Order: sequence, then C-alpha cells, then structure tokens
Amino acid sequence: MPILKTENLTYTYAPATPFKHTAVNNISFSVEKGEITGIIGHTGSGKSTLLQLLNGLLKPTDGKVYFNGNDIWQDPKKIGLYRFKIGLVFQYPEYQLFEETVKEDIAYGPKNMKLSPEEIEQRVNEAVSIVGLKEHLLEKSPFDLSGGEKRRAAIAGIMAMKPEIIVFDEPTAGLDPIGRETVFEAIKKYRRDNDATIIIVSHSMEDMASICDKIIVLNDGNVVMHDSVAEVFKNADKLKKIGLNVPIVTDVLLTLKEMGADISVEHFTVRSAADFLISKIKGGAHLD
Amino acid sequence: MISDITFGQYFPSNSVIHRLDPRIKFLLLIFIIVFIFIGNMYGIGLSLLFSIVIMILSKIPLKVYLKNLKVILPIIIFTGLINMLYVKTGTILVDWWKITITVDGIYKAIFMAVRIALLIIISSTLTYTTTPNDLTDAIERLCKPLKFIGLGTVVHMLTMMMTIALRFIPTLIEETQKIMNAQKARGADIESGGLISRVKALVPILIPLIILSVRRAYDLAEAMECRCYNGGVGKQRMKQLHLRFSDFFALFVCLIWGGLIILIKIFLG
Repeated sequence: MPILKTENLTYTYAPATPFKHTAVNNISFSVEKGEITGIIGHTGSGKSTLLQLLNGLLKPTDGKVYFNGNDIWQDPKKIGLYRFKIGLVFQYPEYQLFEETVKEDIAYGPKNMKLSPEEIEQRVNEAVSIVGLKEHLLEKSPFDLSGGEKRRAAIAGIMAMKPEIIVFDEPTAGLDPIGRETVFEAIKKYRRDNDATIIIVSHSMEDMASICDKIIVLNDGNVVMHDSVAEVFKNADKLKKIGLNVPIVTDVLLTLKEMGADISVEHFTVRSAADFLISKIKGGAHLD
Repeated sequence: MISDITFGQYFPSNSVIHRLDPRIKFLLLIFIIVFIFIGNMYGIGLSLLFSIVIMILSKIPLKVYLKNLKVILPIIIFTGLINMLYVKTGTILVDWWKITITVDGIYKAIFMAVRIALLIIISSTLTYTTTPNDLTDAIERLCKPLKFIGLGTVVHMLTMMMTIALRFIPTLIEETQKIMNAQKARGADIESGGLISRVKALVPILIPLIILSVRRAYDLAEAMECRCYNGGVGKQRMKQLHLRFSDFFALFVCLIWGGLIILIKIFLG
C-alpha cells in the first residue's frame, strides 16, 4: 500500500469571487514508502498549494488525501495528528523561527506533541546532529544565525517531530553550493535513520536529478508526468514546452547529439555524464 | 479566517461608481454621511432608497456588502435595543417590571439601526470602488490648500505613510497566513483552547511577523532612498486626474438628494 495517495485532489482559491482560481485540478498520484519524490513545475503551477494539501494545512475543495490508507480529513478534529506524521518545511525559515534560543525553537514541535522533557531533549539532539548544526549555536537566538544555519534550524524543527513523511518546499533556494550539499546530506540521513519518505519541491533540475527517485511534473494544476528521473528527463521537448528544463549536463549532451555525435543523452548528473564521455572518448568515438 | 475580512478592500469592476474621480467620491462620502445624520425619520427612508441605488450602480454583489454588515451586526443590534428601551414616549406596548417598550421606541430603534447600516454601506462603497492608492492620492490633493499655511510636507508625509500602510495590508495578511501555516505544521493550535492558551498561541505568530515587518521597513526605506526620494519636494505625478461630466453629474444628484433631505426635515419633521 502506498504511504501517501491523493485521489482527484482539487483546490480552488476564493471560490465565487472574481478572484476565483483553481490551483490544483483533479490530481491523483501515490508515493511509496521510502521514496524520494521530486515535484517540479513552473511558478504558479500549483506546487505550493499541493504541498499544503498533502499535510492538511488546506482542506481540499474536492478529492481525498490518504495517509497509509486513511483519509486524513475523515475527522477534521484529528487533522493535527496527521500534521505531525507528514512534516512540511517551508521555504523561508523566517516564517517559523521565534523562540529565544535555537534549541527551544527546535523543541517547539515536539512540545506541541506533548512528549516528555527527556524525549524532547533526545529528539532535539538527534535532529541537530542530522542537520549538522554546531553545538555552540544552540543557545544563540535564531535571528543571529546565517541564512544557511537558519534553514537547517528550521529543518531540524520539523525533523524533531519525527514525521514519517517530510515535504520540503525549495529546501536549497538561496543557499551556496556547500549549504545546499549540507541540506541534501541531512535529508538523506534522516531518510536512512528513520525509514522515512521524502517529497521535495525545487527549481533546480540538477538537484532533482541527483537526489530524487521519482519526479512529478505539474503544469497548470495538473500532473503532466509522474515517473522515474530518467523517464521524465528523457522528455526534454515536453518539459521545455511548459517552461521547465532538463539538467544542464543533459542539455549539453542533447546539443552534442544534435550536432551529430552518436551518444546517449540519458545522463542527468555531471558525474555520470563525465564518466560516460570519458569512456566514449577512450573508446575512440568522434565527438566532432 | 483572516482573508475573510473584506473591510476596506478594493473590489475590481467597471461600474459608473468605479470610474468616478476619487476626489469627488471622497467628498461625496463625507457629504452623504453628514446628510444621513441630518435626515429625520422620513429622510432616512429616502437615504435608504438612495443607498440602494448606489449599491446597484456599484455592481458589487450584495453578498459582499452583507458580509461587512455582519461584522458590525452586534453594534447595530445593541444600539437598536438601547434606543428601544430608553424611549418612553408614545403608545406603550409592553410594560413589565422595569422594561417599557413603546411604539416610538421601536421606530427609534429601527431608525438608528438603519442609519448605522447605511453609514457602513456608503463607506464601504468608497473603499470597494476605489483602489487604496487612488484614495490616498485624492486625500493628498484635497489637502493641497494646507501648503499655504506651511503644512505641505506634513500632508505629503501623512499621505505617504497612509499609502505605504494600505499597500502593505495585503502583504501582512498573506505573511500572517504563511507564518500561521508554518507554525500549524509544527502543531500550533490556534483555533481551540481557552483564552489564555489562545493568547499564548499568538506569540509564535506575532514574533516572526514583527521581525519581518521591521526588516521590510528598513528595506523599503533604503529602496526609496536609492531612488532619490526626498519627501515629495518637486514631485510630479504620473497619473493626472481630470473632472469629467459624470463627476459633476454625481455631484448634482447628491446635492438634489441633500436638498430633499432638508426639505423633508423642514416640512415633515
């Protein structure tokens, strides 16, 4: 059974006004336990709305979200429980950091779960070590941290609740390459340690190619594709038509192929493309 | 929810009222409010009719108006009740314990309730049909004569502050919503619990909101300075306002209505 499933999910903003807008339109898909699923789509394709529907922050206008086979809105009073099981990390850490110290802020979620102080302490330490925040930062005010540290503190705040699924909205936007790497390492480590399922929204096709197992492509509130990374990035034309792109290396390979080189274009990370090209050249192929 | 508050929100449409000059609209609002207050019991009937015509002309759904009225319904009911209980003249309908209700009292209650409702309807018509920018623009221009007594920059400062405040209300609402979502995702419970726990639940929302606002204020000030903002000295306007026939016509209609209100007061008082 898939851990997360949506059925004809629809959400309309401001119904019955001139501002009426259907952001998510009749979406059905399922995510298996342990997978890392990427969601890509142009600005305004309904990504953010979809994320908020997945963990019950928005109530669908129509359709259902199933977690482990249970409709999360079956009893609206219990929606809070599902928010602990399906964590959502927002793009801007500034929207959630508020406590006096970083440590207390990370403990905010577990505290709301009414856990014992020992349990909270243990979970906070665990989350901090996963995201790799340095010990001396914990007693600082969250507002004194750097951008990357704030981001990691915010992520730790969700990880401390130990959700079975974590949904990330642009977890690496605005970070430098090292900060980006740290965040992805943290996400992978959390998944390994907790046997968790991950959903990531990102604009960076390179990041998506390197970390995801499957990719969902959204356009105008509809699912256009939902397949493995290789299958999705094969469709460069289709992606470009809806304002998206393939990873830059894949684009380079595509151009080479157009110029007449006899190569495969199914390489989506710099590493794999480089290895492939080197072996091709050593094998005596002509790339000119 | 927060986004349900429509008071003072522009409602796009292309009605006669939307197209009126904002200065005229602003002056007429004051004029109409004054005359609603001057009007007596019969006058209020005429005002009601007049307001209904304005509502129809504004092409704004009745539902939107009613939503606004719902917010102040408690005030309307309270005022009505007080008036009903304190007027002791006229035919007595109920006389029980300390409560006396008279026919005059009931008339008075209805009169006051309708008057408050009309005030709200008329003022919301202005904000529904005029963008906040047009509105502050109109205020600034109407205050122009103040520069002859040396208050030119003060007027500009005040209207600039108003423009900025109005401009950022939707941003703040949106931001509050986002912060609420971020905290709800961490299990914050804002909608249930007693008074104290609800107030406590506001802390995680207010702190990020205030910090973001202060930072935005600095950013905005810097951005304005970078574009050589100097407090409006010698500023020219991109959008010029011109009075048109329809503006004079609206003025004319309102004057006739005002005249009728006064005539009614004199001859039917």
